[in-house]
Amino acid sequence: MVQFNLPKNSKILKGSYFKDKTGSENIKKINIYRWDPDKKENPKIDTFEVNLSKCGNKVLDILNKIKNEIDPSLTYRRSCAHGVCGSCAMNVDGVNTLSCMKSHKEINGDINIYPLPHLKVVKDLVADLSTLYRQYESIQPWLKTKNEKSMKQEINQSQENRKKLDGFYECIMCACCSTSCPSYWWNGEKYLGPAVLLQAYRWIIDSRDEERKERLKTVADKLKLYGCHTIMNCTNSCPKGLNPAKAIGSIKKMLATS
Amino acid sequence: MTDNQNPISPHLQIYRWHISSLLSITHRIAGVVNLFALILMFFWLLSFSLGKSNYELFLISINSFFGKFILIGFTWSMSFHIFSGIRHLVWDMGYGYEIKSANISGILVILSSLFTTILFWLLGRGLI
Repeated sequence: MVQFNLPKNSKILKGSYFKDKTGSENIKKINIYRWDPDKKENPKIDTFEVNLSKCGNKVLDILNKIKNEIDPSLTYRRSCAHGVCGSCAMNVDGVNTLSCMKSHKEINGDINIYPLPHLKVVKDLVADLSTLYRQYESIQPWLKTKNEKSMKQEINQSQENRKKLDGFYECIMCACCSTSCPSYWWNGEKYLGPAVLLQAYRWIIDSRDEERKERLKTVADKLKLYGCHTIMNCTNSCPKGLNPAKAIGSIKKMLATS
Repeated sequence: MTDNQNPISPHLQIYRWHISSLLSITHRIAGVVNLFALILMFFWLLSFSLGKSNYELFLISINSFFGKFILIGFTWSMSFHIFSGIRHLVWDMGYGYEIKSANISGILVILSSLFTTILFWLLGRGLI
């Protein structure tokens, strides 16, 4: 049975308030989800007053500023800060995005920051994505060949066939889309979710791959694929501007017409 | 790394609604409501198979304010479900997945379902 409410240990409480000490006029309130595995407490929302006069443009800059200047215990994943690695995916202002790509100037009022939705929290904004990685592995995201010949020599791809991968190969697996999907929230163990299905599609349509039929067969499952009900939260959240909903629709269409 | 002690991050509670997600859940709810609409239609059939007095009782209850409210609601949920269903069929044919077109088709579904409901009742009451 689907549980719409948060379980007892996940209910969010009010946390601490960190008042601004710089005396700046340009203050923004940042509400951040906190949970410490070492304390036996429920998660809470801490509020930080941040001086935006001396802060970069992106939400990640705010987080770095808080970690450096206010509370060093704040925990979140980040690496490249240029929207390439996908580490800093989180829920900002109600929508999943990469905090290094999201400008805080677009957000009116307080900024609410949560970890990616409906995952086990590891600490603060860090959530456990191991289920998603396991599912990614299950679609075997590598080039598969059957012919002797293609194992020994380079497999060429025409420019035209290469173009078919545009809009799909750019995916950085940040998991913004999958964790924005209500279907994935309720059936995350069985439904593969938009990120993994977009990757599956990327390998299905690769002209060099020789196991297209087997790939389609593994995906063609009531829950694995058809858990998608075209809610389109995935496409609405993708920070790279890709379209997982379209990729899933294309797989469904391929199955219906083959 | 994580066990059952770890909390689950908030989802429905904090996620922003888009037109597409709102229409998706409304499509489901309308589907369930339509089931009740069909049940009401069976009661209608039943009432006149049971004779004049039963049918008149049915008419009185349906002509009450509450009855009309229910009927108009059913008309809307039926038309919404049909238009939204057509939208899903277009998706299944591989069209309309861009955010912009999905938003436009979503708004079209809402407007046309409202329009059909109004038209249906005006025609049915002989007002146009």
